[in-house]
Amino acid sequence: MKRAAVKATSWVMLLFLGACAVPEVKTEAVPVPDAGRTQVVLMPDQDGKVGEVTVRNRGGSRKINQAGQMAEAKNGTSAISTQAPLAEGDINKVFGAALAALPKKPVIFILYFKTDSTELTEASQTTLSSVHAAISDRQSQDISVIGHTDRTGEKSYNVALSRSRALKIKKFLISKSVNPSIIEVDYHGEADPLIKTPDGVAEPRNRRVEVTVR
Amino acid sequence: MRYFFGVLCLILCLGTNAVAASNEEAAIVKNCSGTAFIVRQQRTLTVKKSERIYSGDLLRTGRDGTLGIIFKDNTILSLGPRSELLIEEFHFDPSRGKLSIVTRMLKGTAAYVSGVIARLSPQSVRFETPSATIGIRGTKFLVKVEDGGEEE
Repeated sequence: MKRAAVKATSWVMLLFLGACAVPEVKTEAVPVPDAGRTQVVLMPDQDGKVGEVTVRNRGGSRKINQAGQMAEAKNGTSAISTQAPLAEGDINKVFGAALAALPKKPVIFILYFKTDSTELTEASQTTLSSVHAAISDRQSQDISVIGHTDRTGEKSYNVALSRSRALKIKKFLISKSVNPSIIEVDYHGEADPLIKTPDGVAEPRNRRVEVTVR
Repeated sequence: MRYFFGVLCLILCLGTNAVAASNEEAAIVKNCSGTAFIVRQQRTLTVKKSERIYSGDLLRTGRDGTLGIIFKDNTILSLGPRSELLIEEFHFDPSRGKLSIVTRMLKGTAAYVSGVIARLSPQSVRFETPSATIGIRGTKFLVKVEDGGEEE
């Protein structure tokens, strides 16, 4: 009896020690043996692409990779089973409400700039009007504007340039009566290129502002 | 002695956890209907559109409630009625390589579309339920978790 108690205490200590020593490492939740059933159904995304999920517990792990396919864990310990793709009607019966509440995928616009300038390329001026349209269409309350540069010029200069570019776009959106408090501005200088290049290389695709409309 | 050490460690850990739970903004509410709540630091708040959601928040919907949110990394998640989901961990800081999104669903139904974190670092994404852990490779999926044997 006493031994069991000591053993239990050591386990508890071990658990906490683990958590103490490495707080960054996520301690994985241990599936409870008598926990309720989990069902996972894979779906095609907005672009029709079907990915892959792995469902695992103490009984093992199973992969599903077909649209409508289901994996089921009856509890935390028994083996996971998979099922042939479900009919759309059956999926909607169970998940209809959740699916109806699923927000639209955010849209990301990339606006390109002329060399060493906060002036947009001609093509991107057109894109800018679609940004505004997407904001109204989604009734967006969350817009992120991130400025970037290529790797010509000094790092610190580029940080300032990427900031000016982002602010220029923010200013434009405000002029189209977008509420300033929903626009979040950030700038990464040359540190976050779309196309990786050595230092000093002029790359038009990296002279950009990325706008995400959520 | 051993006991003392255990207690000491427990105290230390609680301290660490309190700090670790300092709340990074994780998502924004895009859709909500019926009764939906956020439980944040033991307080229950009614959800409104455009409400910010933080790491550590518990999302809960009532019998007529639904909720749809978009995370900072563009992960999209929604809950059907009678659901509960905890935003256990969220870090989105690609320039420092700090990426993680861990959600734990306690009951109900959910739809999930993975975002940038799943693309950059699939091993940093986890969706947990009481009976399983779901690993994600860039995709959309649905989850139903039964509440410990209780069927609707």
